[in-house]
Amino acid sequence: MSPPGGRAKGRILIGLALAIFAVALALAARPHDETNAERIDRITSELRCPVCQGLSVKDSPSQTAREMRALVEERVNEGRSDAQIQAEFRAAYGDWVLLSPPVFAWTGLVWLVPLAALAAGLALVAGRFGGAPPAPDTAAPTAGEIAMLRDRVAREESADT
Amino acid sequence: MIGRLARAGIALALVALIVILALAFRRDPHDIRTGTVGKAAPAFTLSRLDGAGPISLSQYAGKVVVLNFWASWCVPCKQENPALVRVYERYRMSDVVIIGVLYQDSTDSGRSYVRDLGVLWPTVVDDDGRVSLSYGVFGIPETYFIGPDGVIAGRHIGPIDEQTLVTGIEAIRPAAAR
Repeated sequence: MSPPGGRAKGRILIGLALAIFAVALALAARPHDETNAERIDRITSELRCPVCQGLSVKDSPSQTAREMRALVEERVNEGRSDAQIQAEFRAAYGDWVLLSPPVFAWTGLVWLVPLAALAAGLALVAGRFGGAPPAPDTAAPTAGEIAMLRDRVAREESADT
Repeated sequence: MIGRLARAGIALALVALIVILALAFRRDPHDIRTGTVGKAAPAFTLSRLDGAGPISLSQYAGKVVVLNFWASWCVPCKQENPALVRVYERYRMSDVVIIGVLYQDSTDSGRSYVRDLGVLWPTVVDDDGRVSLSYGVFGIPETYFIGPDGVIAGRHIGPIDEQTLVTGIEAIRPAAAR
């Protein structure tokens, strides 16, 4: 059994370690201003290299990708916005040049059709299996209905005999 | 009621699928759409390969311009060259201008190519690839047809033949010039 002073010291050390960990985490996660180099990397990672098979401009070693990167670098240094830089490439290559094409263009159908099909399927299942069973008819029969029933029973019994 | 709606929905979805597939299969796989066809041709001023000063697209306003991107290392470019030579001969005294654009190549190699293969039309050098990027060039050879109004009327990816060149030119050539 450890002495009470040693246990307290251990708790302090654990607390200190947790505090240092939390501070380090907060420092690492804090938002910081993106440098031009980081911005160029991000923009080129979102652009498709036209002469490659599914590679981004950032990842491609081709000359076309290098020329595209140089153009992005120039536009960033000129102070153009991300949207303006993307628009310049889209004007030449269409939405295809973006590795993540805008959702609400023609390509949005790719996302919307499965969702619509799922919704239709759910509606179909809910319509077939869901909902409460029809309520039993608890209204008392009218005098006319009772009279008609008596007549029919009497007719059937007389026919049987 | 829901069953009928579901059947109608499925039928509608099938029809839509058939229409989409029919449209997709009708497309020419060489016809990769870009943003530039149907829009004003990006302006440029580039140095001539022969060193005789710069060429601007604007100096050919009102004419039909055939812009052909090529390089000496490009085998399909050599394959299409005889067609370009014949079309150049056919239209050289007319309102039709052919301009070659040297793409990702050294000027020395480009000059050898021009000399050896009888390229007599002007060729400009796209040093930094900016003009190719502004036209949306995917790979060479690529040929753009620019109308007298300065709008890109068509584009051909891959080696082009004489008939396609003539058809592309005549489609945008003013009737009076024929």
